[in-house]
Amino acid sequence: MSGRTVWHRLRPVLRGYAFTVAGIAIGVAGLSAPGAMSERIVRFIEGGDRFVLGQISVAGRGLGMGAGFAGGGLLPAASVRAIAEVPGVQGVQAQVMLPLEPRTSHFLAVTQDLLLGLDLSVPTPNRHYPTLPVQAGRFLREGDRGVAVVGAALAASRGVGVGDRLTLEGRSYTVVGVLERMLTAPDRFVIVPIADAREQWVAQDPMLRTLLASGAAALTAADLNTGAAVGWAEGEDPDAVARRIAERVPGVNVQIPSELSRVLRSSTAFFSALLAGIAALALVIGGLSVANTIAAAVFERVRDFGVKRVLGATDAQLGREVLGESLAVTLSGGGVGLALAALITRAIDTWVTPSERLFLFSPRLVGGALLFSVLLGAAAALYATWRLVRLTPAEAIRRGA
Amino acid sequence: MLRGRGLVKSYPAPAGGAIRVLAGVDLDVRPGELVVVSGASGSGKTTLLNVLGLLEDPDSGEVWFGPERVSGLGRSTKSRVRGRSVGFVFQSFLLLPGLTALDNVLLAARYVGGVGEAERRRALALLEAFGVLDRRDHYPAQLSGGEQQRVAFCRAVLNDPPLILADEPTGNLDEANAAVIAGALADRARAGAAVVVVTHHPETVRGATTVFRIDGGRLGAWHD
Repeated sequence: MSGRTVWHRLRPVLRGYAFTVAGIAIGVAGLSAPGAMSERIVRFIEGGDRFVLGQISVAGRGLGMGAGFAGGGLLPAASVRAIAEVPGVQGVQAQVMLPLEPRTSHFLAVTQDLLLGLDLSVPTPNRHYPTLPVQAGRFLREGDRGVAVVGAALAASRGVGVGDRLTLEGRSYTVVGVLERMLTAPDRFVIVPIADAREQWVAQDPMLRTLLASGAAALTAADLNTGAAVGWAEGEDPDAVARRIAERVPGVNVQIPSELSRVLRSSTAFFSALLAGIAALALVIGGLSVANTIAAAVFERVRDFGVKRVLGATDAQLGREVLGESLAVTLSGGGVGLALAALITRAIDTWVTPSERLFLFSPRLVGGALLFSVLLGAAAALYATWRLVRLTPAEAIRRGA
Repeated sequence: MLRGRGLVKSYPAPAGGAIRVLAGVDLDVRPGELVVVSGASGSGKTTLLNVLGLLEDPDSGEVWFGPERVSGLGRSTKSRVRGRSVGFVFQSFLLLPGLTALDNVLLAARYVGGVGEAERRRALALLEAFGVLDRRDHYPAQLSGGEQQRVAFCRAVLNDPPLILADEPTGNLDEANAAVIAGALADRARAGAAVVVVTHHPETVRGATTVFRIDGGRLGAWHD
C-alpha cells in the first residue's frame, strides 16, 4: 500500500480523533508539568535525606562557622582521631564546609552554594554517596592542590567547565571535573582538597585570622575542620554509634542520623505540603480535562452508537469497542501531552532558569501520568457508554442527527 | 414472518400531556411480501417502523418475528435479534463517516458472527452488483447521495436478513438512484424476504403487495 493510500485512509480517522487527542494531550500536559516540578523537589529532599542517613555528621561543639549538615565549632584533629577510636566507627573524613556567598547563606540554607573541602587521604565514609558521579573530567585525587570539582548547576550558573579557572573570594582553582546533575545539594557544591579549603576559610574569616595570629589557641592547619563525616562498621546501628561518639568524645556536636533525617523532613514539611497541593491540583485539573474530553468524544458519537445498535451491537460489544478506542486515544494523547510538557518545561529550564532544572520527568511520573490518564479515560468512557446504551437506538440516532 | 399486535406508542408533548402516535396498530407481513405504509408527515410511519424493528419499545402491544415474541426481550438480546434478522435502510443512509464504503458494509457482520473472508467476498459482490465496487475505499463524504444509499443497502442485506425495513429509502435520491433502490427492495421480496417500506410516495415502490395508509395512529387501506 502506497504512502498516499495510507494517508488517504488515515486522514478521516485522524480528523475524527484529532480534537480528542489534543484535548487529552493538554490535560496530560497540565497534569505532568506540575508533577515534574514536584518530582524535582522530592528528588532534592530525598537526596538530602539519603545523604544524612549515609553518615554520622560531627562538628565541634559551639556556634562556629560550620555550614551544611555539620554546623558547629571547630573540630580539631585530636577530636577526629578520638572519633576514629570509638568502637563501631569505620572511617572518619575531616571536612571543611563553607558558604560561597556568606551574605545570603542564612536565607538560602536549602540551596546555597557551598565550598566543600575533603580530606582525600581517607575514603569518603558516606554509605549512600561513597563517590560522586562525574559527568566530565575527573574527581579529586590525594595530593591535588588548587583544583576543584564543581556541581552541575553551579558549573552552569558560573559558565565553567573542565580546564576553566574558577575564582572564589580571590583564590583561583582549575576545574578538573564537573559532577553529573544529581538534582540534590551537590549540584551547587565546589569540592576542593581540604588544604585549599582551610586556606580559603582563613582568608575569608577575619575572626579566625585574628585568633590564629594571637596565638591564644594552639591550632595547626589540621585542626581547621568544620566537621567530619563518620562511617560505621558493618552490622552496627548508626544511631547507637553516633550516641557512643557523643558519650566518649568530649567537645563535639554529633548528629544522630535518624534524628537529623526527621529534622530535615520536618523542616521540609512545608515543601511536602506544597507538593501535595500541587499534585492534588494537577490531578483534579488534568484529570477533569482528560475525563471530560473522553466523555465528550463518546457523547459526540451518539449517532454512531445508534447505528451500531441498529446493526446488532450489544452493550458488551459497544463497551469493549469504546474501551479499546479510549485506551488508544488516551495513550496517544498521553504520549503527546507528555512530549508537550517535556518540551515546555525544557524550554523553561533552558531559557528561564538555565543553571537549574526545575522539572524532573521520572519514570514513575511518566508511568503514573499515563496510567492515571488511561484509568480515568476508561472510567469516563464506560460512564458515557453506560449512559448511551440506555438510549434506544432510535433515540440515539435522533439525538445525533 | 413479522407480526405487530395492538401497538401503542405515545411521546410526551412539549406543552405537557402526551401525543399518541400509534393507537393500536396490527400488521402482518409474510415472507415474500412487500408492504408499503404511507401517510402524512408526523403520522407515525417512522415510529411504526422503529417499533417493528425493535429500535424503540411500544407502550403496549407485541412484536413477533415468526414464532418468537421479540418485543419483551432484553436490550442486548434485542440487539442480537435485530442484527441477525432485520436489515434497515434509512432516508439519511446512516453510514459511519470514519469508515470506508466497504467497512460500512462489513459493519453489519461485525456484530453478527464477525467479519471473515466469506463476509468480505459477499460485501464486495454486493458493492459490485450495486455499481459501487470502485468506490469501496471511499469514505461517505466522498460519495454522492445515490452511492451512499446503495452502500447502505448493501449493508442492510449483507447478512441476508429475512426482514427488511426501509424508512423513506428513496426520499433523498434522484430518479435513477431511486429506481435502483426500489428495484432492489422488490427483488428482496421476490427472494423471500418480508419487506416493509414507509414513504410519502408509495408510487415510487414497485411490486408492492399491500399499501397501507397510516392516519390518526391507525392503519387503513390506501385509496388514491
